[in-house]
Amino acid sequence: MSRARLAVAALALAGAVATSAAASTDADPGVTGTTILLGGTAPLSGPASAYSSIARGAAAYFKYANARGGVNGRRILYTYLDDGYDPAQTVPATTQLVERDRVFAVFNSLGTAQNEAVRPYLNQSQVPQLFAASAATTFGRDYKRYPWTIGFQPSYRAEGRIYGTFLARTKARARVAVLFQNDAYGKDLLAGLKQGIARSTVRVIAAEPYEVTAADVQAEVAGLKASGADVLAIFATPKFATEAYVFAERLRWRPLVIVNAVSSASNVMTSAVRASAAGAVEGSISIVYLKDPTSRSWRDDVAMRLYRSIMARYARGANVRDVFHVYGMAVAYETVKVLKAAGANPTRAGVMAQVRKLNDPSNPFLLPGIVVRTSATDRFPVEQVLLQRWSQGSWSAFGGLWGYRAG
Amino acid sequence: MKRGELIRIGLFVLACIAILLLPRFISDFRAQQFAYVGIYFIALLGLNLLTGFTGQISLGHGAFMLIGGYTTAILISNQTPPLELFGHQFTSDMRDIWTIPIAGLVAGVAGFLFGFPALRLTGLYLALATFAIAVAAPAVVRRFADFTGGGGGINLFDVSGRTKAEVVTDPVTFESRELGVDVLGITIPSFNEWLYYLCWTLALVLLGVAWFLLRGRFGRSLRAVRDSELAAASSGVDLARYKTLAFGISAFYAGVAGSLLAIATTFVNPDTFPITLSIFLLVGVVVGGLGSLWPLVFGAIFIHFMQIEWAQSAERIVPNFVPLLGGIDTDLPGAPAVAFGVILILIMLASPGGAAALLRRLGAAITDAYGRYRARRTEAAS
Amino acid sequence: MAEFFQQVVSGLGSGAIYAALALALVLIHRATGVINFAQGEMAMFTTYVAWALITNHGWDYWPAFVGTLVIAFLLGVGIHTVVIRPVERASVLTVVIMTIGLVLTFNGLASLIWSAEVRAFPSPFPNDTWQIGDVAISQQDVGTFAIVLALVTLLWAFFQFTKTGLALRASAVNPDASRLVGVRVGWMLAIGWGLAAALGAVSGMLAAPTLFLDPNMMQATLIYAFAAAVLGGIDSPFGAVVGGLILGVGLNLIGNYIDFVGAGLKLPVALLVILVVLLVRPAGIFGTPVTRRV
Repeated sequence: MSRARLAVAALALAGAVATSAAASTDADPGVTGTTILLGGTAPLSGPASAYSSIARGAAAYFKYANARGGVNGRRILYTYLDDGYDPAQTVPATTQLVERDRVFAVFNSLGTAQNEAVRPYLNQSQVPQLFAASAATTFGRDYKRYPWTIGFQPSYRAEGRIYGTFLARTKARARVAVLFQNDAYGKDLLAGLKQGIARSTVRVIAAEPYEVTAADVQAEVAGLKASGADVLAIFATPKFATEAYVFAERLRWRPLVIVNAVSSASNVMTSAVRASAAGAVEGSISIVYLKDPTSRSWRDDVAMRLYRSIMARYARGANVRDVFHVYGMAVAYETVKVLKAAGANPTRAGVMAQVRKLNDPSNPFLLPGIVVRTSATDRFPVEQVLLQRWSQGSWSAFGGLWGYRAG
Repeated sequence: MKRGELIRIGLFVLACIAILLLPRFISDFRAQQFAYVGIYFIALLGLNLLTGFTGQISLGHGAFMLIGGYTTAILISNQTPPLELFGHQFTSDMRDIWTIPIAGLVAGVAGFLFGFPALRLTGLYLALATFAIAVAAPAVVRRFADFTGGGGGINLFDVSGRTKAEVVTDPVTFESRELGVDVLGITIPSFNEWLYYLCWTLALVLLGVAWFLLRGRFGRSLRAVRDSELAAASSGVDLARYKTLAFGISAFYAGVAGSLLAIATTFVNPDTFPITLSIFLLVGVVVGGLGSLWPLVFGAIFIHFMQIEWAQSAERIVPNFVPLLGGIDTDLPGAPAVAFGVILILIMLASPGGAAALLRRLGAAITDAYGRYRARRTEAAS
Repeated sequence: MAEFFQQVVSGLGSGAIYAALALALVLIHRATGVINFAQGEMAMFTTYVAWALITNHGWDYWPAFVGTLVIAFLLGVGIHTVVIRPVERASVLTVVIMTIGLVLTFNGLASLIWSAEVRAFPSPFPNDTWQIGDVAISQQDVGTFAIVLALVTLLWAFFQFTKTGLALRASAVNPDASRLVGVRVGWMLAIGWGLAAALGAVSGMLAAPTLFLDPNMMQATLIYAFAAAVLGGIDSPFGAVVGGLILGVGLNLIGNYIDFVGAGLKLPVALLVILVVLLVRPAGIFGTPVTRRV
């Protein structure tokens, strides 16, 4: 090559380097020429560590997406820190992600109180709080005050309302007993239920709260049985839900059971069955919006085969039957879509603009027919569910899609 | 004052200067991390006063931190609707730093009052009683939700009473920049630095107070109580007085730490002061060294960094695949806990007296070596 | 009235679980003078081992039960030798911190090896009740009570009538004199830890069918066991068992009949009651009171 050509090439190279350097100083933190850094907090230790599979599922999906070219040529790096489900740990961990690791967005942090604790900080720092893993209504309802925050799944209030409406339509004059966790989550579900049955002949005749720190709920279940109800609503986390089934069975009580989505995973139900509570479990009703990896309906489904292959490749040793992985992948899938739509030079504001106009009918991990949709006034991405009934060892969905605007 | 004490004071002054200058040399984020270390340091100072110097085990100092934290939160949050206590409406939006001594006092009084029934309990029974308090405190907070915000807690980020950095938002690009915090006319460049200075100023002051309290008659009486209550009582030490005072003062320290924690995390709810906090405080005291003062900073560093930093360090230190056990994925649930536990055990095996004992051994080794060096030189000279 | 009996019976069932764990705590405290905070997590961990034997290796329940007891015993001996013995001379608090380190380690290990998913654990007793008139008595509760009673009696017989048992008691009461007589005190203490770990495993395996197996299963139980041991007298094995039963029954009755004590305050109220008892009798119900004359 002649010296002149060499010189021109060198100049061009220098120019390219200079402009790309200039370009990257204009970009938001967390975005480089080849990577996008997402960060979040997850309960790797402590009372909620069972939910850490969500982060694992999302991480596996991101690795899969990277292997297929990533997002507009960039790989997604996803790091999550342990906050032990303690909001006082979530705050320093999140500030570390934002200020030291300079993440592009805080992604799918788990827990209602945990997300609430960091929400004002993230909004003030204008860092997206993307798809917070909590079904508390506030994350979709309070977007005017906190425009950088958005949740993902159907809110607890909406879920409760769906149960209430279902009862109102199918079980007139039912008497409902409710076991609920004594915090915002349990109370939200209960309030939704009451809204759903508001103008019907269905009544809530007994409601027993329990604390997260309780050893067991035997006394509460006994009290609920004594009320003479014929419907039992279990608004509890998996451990307490299974206990409730076992105690109900022990007391020879077999009401119609409504169990909330958080505890409806097949492995939880199967645990209860194995603990000799098959009678109490049979006929239980719940909502569902994810494809359950243990359900026969989806065994040959293309998406579930993809799920299993992703798990086998990028999450070796994890329990494939754990539906929380599917949840993680559903959220990760949507995130990849949003990032792609944000264009060749994604910015935080650009991503949030995309998040405000989601319209995705084809998330493979959600049930067919569910559309992930948001708008300027609707910040609840997933609002549609199916009802399902537990029968002979597995869930089967029935009826059509239920949709509800929460808030 | 003896020469030894003068040297100590001199070193202390040097340390103060170093600490106050540190933010110039470290990143903004590190300043925040060290602020947290300072908060734990204050709590550990208090706990050590009670456990290391007076021999009373407390597994409940998280509860005193809770009292301090909630006091500050309630005082600065100006909640609407206003909080109700015994039928009276209650609004307040004090400036946060003025609530710190109040929080300390409230916690201190609570500790002092607890000291009275605690007089009858020793050792294990006292540990159980304090443990009961630590378990009960979050539950009580949830019970009186009208006053404390219950399980949802109180979010302090936007309240007027909180010291915030001035933020300027560019009207065109919508980017915001911190202008800094104004303190007595000086502008501290960021909130994190302000937090650092607040925590460490208080930590150094309280360290000095603790040292001063403990060097005289008060400290000797406390140590007498620790070493042998029988002997102390026979020598005329009023057990009741010193034990309750020790409880009160150590609770005051914990209350201050709790208040600072609320200011730092801008959020309180029953889960931000869990029983694990009380346990980790005790761990921190032992790792730092029972009956020591400034080495407690190592305990504080241990507690803070093990809780958060581990997850990231693990990926650098432990390879993702350990063939013996079929692979340890450090992102898996449980990995941080195992690391914390194993490292704690190893530290205790290596130095059961904590950092203080290690430092003493180091100091003794150095003085020994120096002494031998001098001896050899005088030998050689003669 | 039927309600009352039901609560008492179910209280005896859960009380038996607290009693077993409390007895383990007392054993270790008598032998080595420390409170083993890791007793609950060791119990949980060994219960996971039992679960693995049954589910992954196809063992039947009772062989797995006995096998787990053996494994737990060895684990206890091992922990004492490797972790506790080196720091025996150090202050009590140092040893306590060691046990806290063990808590974190066992809890994390259980999560790592078996994941934090909630699992069912089989029970040798059917999940059914016997009807005696109006009262429904849970077979699970009765069976639990029977097993614990049997094991406690076996243990008592071991301590009373065997040479090793005597040596163990001697080592706990007066280690120096025991050495003089030729007792290998170090090994005795390790055996004490082994027995305690086995007791903990029993407690865990009996609790798991009801509480469901997860890494945090035994944490509440440990607190209750601690309270029971203190209530009964921290140096009295008999007191630990009685304390456990009293606590189990008492908690049920309190939770049922006193409305102010809602879901959240059951544990703190229980602890409060115990503290009140301690104020009256500082050494616990069956503990030997320490008189101090100044």
